[in-house]
Amino acid sequence: MMRYLAFRLVQFPLILAIIYLGTFFLTWVIPGSPFDKDDRSKSVAALQAMEQRFHADDWRKFLAWYPSRAVRGDFGQSMQYQDWSVSEIVADALPVSLTLGLFALVVAVLAGVGLGVMAAVRRGGAMDFLSLSVALVGISVPSFVVASGLLLVFCVHLKWFAISQWHNLGDLVLPGLALSLLPMAYVARLTRVAMLDVLSSDFVRTARAKGLSRVQVVWKHCLKHALLPVLSYLGPAAAATLTGSFVVEKVFNIAGLGRHFVNSVLNKDQTLILAVVMIYSAVLLMMNLLVDIGYVFLDPRIQVREEWR
Amino acid sequence: MSTAAKLTPTQAQPAPGRPDTLLRRALRSRRVMVGGLVLAAILAACVITLPWTLRRVGALGFDSQNADRSYMAPGAGAPWGTDMLGRSILGRCLLGGTISLSIGIAAALISTLLGVSVGLVAGYRGGWVDAGLMRAVDVLYGLPYILLILLFKVAFEPPLARLAGPQAANLLVLFLAIGSVSWLTMARVVRGQVLSLRAQPFIEAARAAGLTETRIFFRHLLPNLVGPITVYSTLIVPQAVLQESFLSFLGVGIQDPMPTWGALASDGLLPALNPLRSRWWLLLFPSLLLAITLLTLNFVGDGLRDVFDPRRDAAKV
Amino acid sequence: MLRLLVIPVALAALLVAAITWSGAARSSPADFVFINRGEIGTLDPNSMSWLQDIRMGYALWEGLYSLDPRTLEPVLGCAQRVEVSTDKTAYTFHLRPEARWVNGEAVTADDFVFAWRRMLEEPGDYTYLLHYLKGAKTYQEQFAAGQSADFGQVGVQAVGAGVLQVSLAHPVTFFADLCAFPPFFPLHHKSMEPFRLVNRKTGRITYDPRFTRPPHLVGNGPYRLESWHFQQRLRLVASEHYWDKSAVRSRVIDMLSFADPRTAFLKYETGKVDWLAEVGADDAADLLARKRADLRVFGGFGTYFYSLNCNPRLPDGRTNPLADVRVRQALAMAIDKKPIVDNVGRLNQPVATTFVPPGVFAGYRAPRGLAFDPPRARQLLAEAGYPGGRGFGQLSILFNKEGDHRFVAQIIRKQWLDHLGIDLELSGVEIKTFRVRLHGKDYAVARASWIGDYNDVSTFTDKYLSHSDNNDSAWKNPVYDQLCDQAAVEPDAQRRLELLGQAEQLLCDQVPIIPLYHYVNAYLFRDNVRGVPLNPRNMVIFKALEARRQP
Repeated sequence: MMRYLAFRLVQFPLILAIIYLGTFFLTWVIPGSPFDKDDRSKSVAALQAMEQRFHADDWRKFLAWYPSRAVRGDFGQSMQYQDWSVSEIVADALPVSLTLGLFALVVAVLAGVGLGVMAAVRRGGAMDFLSLSVALVGISVPSFVVASGLLLVFCVHLKWFAISQWHNLGDLVLPGLALSLLPMAYVARLTRVAMLDVLSSDFVRTARAKGLSRVQVVWKHCLKHALLPVLSYLGPAAAATLTGSFVVEKVFNIAGLGRHFVNSVLNKDQTLILAVVMIYSAVLLMMNLLVDIGYVFLDPRIQVREEWR
Repeated sequence: MSTAAKLTPTQAQPAPGRPDTLLRRALRSRRVMVGGLVLAAILAACVITLPWTLRRVGALGFDSQNADRSYMAPGAGAPWGTDMLGRSILGRCLLGGTISLSIGIAAALISTLLGVSVGLVAGYRGGWVDAGLMRAVDVLYGLPYILLILLFKVAFEPPLARLAGPQAANLLVLFLAIGSVSWLTMARVVRGQVLSLRAQPFIEAARAAGLTETRIFFRHLLPNLVGPITVYSTLIVPQAVLQESFLSFLGVGIQDPMPTWGALASDGLLPALNPLRSRWWLLLFPSLLLAITLLTLNFVGDGLRDVFDPRRDAAKV
Repeated sequence: MLRLLVIPVALAALLVAAITWSGAARSSPADFVFINRGEIGTLDPNSMSWLQDIRMGYALWEGLYSLDPRTLEPVLGCAQRVEVSTDKTAYTFHLRPEARWVNGEAVTADDFVFAWRRMLEEPGDYTYLLHYLKGAKTYQEQFAAGQSADFGQVGVQAVGAGVLQVSLAHPVTFFADLCAFPPFFPLHHKSMEPFRLVNRKTGRITYDPRFTRPPHLVGNGPYRLESWHFQQRLRLVASEHYWDKSAVRSRVIDMLSFADPRTAFLKYETGKVDWLAEVGADDAADLLARKRADLRVFGGFGTYFYSLNCNPRLPDGRTNPLADVRVRQALAMAIDKKPIVDNVGRLNQPVATTFVPPGVFAGYRAPRGLAFDPPRARQLLAEAGYPGGRGFGQLSILFNKEGDHRFVAQIIRKQWLDHLGIDLELSGVEIKTFRVRLHGKDYAVARASWIGDYNDVSTFTDKYLSHSDNNDSAWKNPVYDQLCDQAAVEPDAQRRLELLGQAEQLLCDQVPIIPLYHYVNAYLFRDNVRGVPLNPRNMVIFKALEARRQP
């Protein structure tokens, strides 16, 4: 186990390096590079500052110098927000996204598993259809429609929640709910499929034959098995949810990291794109590792080896 | 009826090389039947009305502007209401359906092609090739897909526009961009299938009997892949349509004046969710169409998956 | 059972902790809360070009001249007394002895010299305005080229701590107004010193942008920058050392940042915001239709127009049909602007036939523009060699996808198709790409807009000088240049306006641009708010802002 952990941790820098190179080339290939003379919107001052810090009047030097700066936490100056450094922007935004993402994940897992189990247990019936429909809203209706609808109904008409505030738990509810719908859909679907599979297996029939109640069978024995694929999905889901969603943050005006994912690309803010992608990848790698460890605890039969995916 | 007959229909191994059995089984699933009919109806409605919706004038024309009919509510004069420029929402939704579903299907085809190729090569060759390809898939999984799509668009649309004109380039880039980020799961699934199939005794037996690799591949391997490939292809379509709607919301989706359901929903968002004066028809109809179509596609996909082998694919999304 | 509760309680506690950690601390209420337009780009007066940044500039600094809170006419600010030479090229400013920076130090003439010199050495979008100073242009060019440049040649000099001597290249009737504009604000050298960066290769000096952040930012305006949460909130607190302290009405002003205009409007509706400085088009139109009393719609200071590429060749090498003035005139005359204003604008924006908004400049007579005349347009198009639109080739309309520009583009495209038979494609791109392409003349027809910066006609007409960096149409007309140059040195104000009027007539006849409508501004504030002027220039003087709250 320890060896496996060490093995995975050692791979981190390698994978991050590959992602860095990939993102770097993608972003510098596109027109609008910071050294594009035609782009007036980057002031001479910003360019000179960048030149100063990264010794880069061309991209090759930037590529080489950036990692040494980045490990020290200096991701450079943002190209679109001239007065702000990327680390400041990220340090402000990341905690907000993490909080919201945590809440959304919890909701997604709890509701998703619940709905999925219901759909599996009452397979083929109205409950199956209904619970699955509710669950699949997240991937059948555009998120901006749902988020805006929630804002309008609960903030404007019913006035149950405040608009664009970030003070107490109540402010998390609506954006968190909006954010949770997509992972909830996948979790519900995975749970349902896995539950169906488990419910038809021999040991379930044995347990029922022995007289265990339905509830006991489902919740105490099957759930663990059904959760395995959910856990597998949670790796990338957690990474995506914890780093924020553009739509939710735009509609509810939350100062998280999600907006920067999109805005940095649209505004060709190369330094911010790099930082944001690296953070996302780091979170993803960590989540995947946690997930793989979680597997061992959920099902002792699983041996943690490289090939198991 | 004896109790023995009340077994839940767990799926036995599909007989290799007999795709019509799969089709028949698929049609027996109520989900797939009903869903399929709904989808067919929607698609038919959209495609049949093309001659009217593609016109620049006329009641259903997608770009037949009329300054005096701006923001009309649904009623006698305008079946589903009109938008800011006086164009019929019904007409735009019909054409939008064609374009949205085309994007979904094209992206699904591209994804399937890419995913199946990579998955096949990885699963069949094994070893370093497999490890390398799967690591590449991991890395791609690690990049936020919206970033990839945007970068793809921003990089390739201008040069393509110079070649084929802005409208065509826009559509092409959408197909490619969405298709090229949706193949990852397909690759994993296909690889998984190939790996487990390769270890099956009947493959060994075929090899022992002297069949060539190619023959084994086409007669024994591929037919067994049809199931999962169909399932995941079907599931990529709603995903792609939703991604296009997100891109429209960001302002980098389909080019005006072409409509898609996603673009119509995102255009209709502000006027409809207006606390002062709601032009609800701009949002309701496209969103409803999206919801029904995508839900149906998702149900059909899930239904197909139930039919084709839940056990094997339980561990994948 | 109790064991099950542990998890949700722990989670809740975790979330509360997380929310506090991510910056949810409550702060004391402000005296005045407003929502600016979008987010702040920069608070460096050197690089400011966005309207919202310039607005904030007036809170944090004060120039030699300031603007009157109600009329926005220039009044003496940092300067107590001005002496102007008879030929109107030499200004001697005597600074107020009580003018102070927010840290208590006196404002000296050197602060102005430092700031203006920095504008020339570290150019920003508005550096060209400093070229009115004698020798400034040469200095900037020499410095940029790396040659040894003598700053003594530039017409600005500190004569002692309290006297600033300025020499202009030629008389500028609106120089007072310029002095009230952020590029001419002073900068506090000492507090910027720790942020100085020297480029190792070239020896050039730049300043780390962190100097704009609290607590480092030192201005001489009525407010100091207390806190700035990126894209969330900016807090201003009245400066203890401001010379006109007693006139400052609100002690604490909060500026909130909203990326989405609709959410900003909803926040205003909750009553927690005193002034919404930019109301989204959709909401403004509906509010206007409902005759909401707190909606204030008034004439703006700019024009929305379509820019036509006048280069002989298009970016892809083909012959440019728009190079022929008859084609441009035809395009202009084939647009009925009413549907655009009625259905897209919806705020009763005045239809535009000229570039300069009429009625904004006293004594300026607007020239005559082209009217909507499809038959004449078709005739002109035929004369130019494209009868019925045949042979026109495939062109596209460039616009940025944000906002309603796409609807305007669709309307215009349809009109050109219907009236002239030419079918243009639409090319909507994101804002960054759009700006680059517009500036680089990489388009055929593009949506554009221009808002005036200072209170003189030249803020509009200068844009289309042949050598102007802002001339996005690549339109070169020596007669236009000559008229503008003449006007620039003309001492008589009325004659000057006449010359500029003739120049603009050329603009209207030659059609490098097709004006569509003139902007209107829309604010939301209730009757308890004072100090927000309904002036086309869309600026506000912060010391006059006040929100009378219920006792």
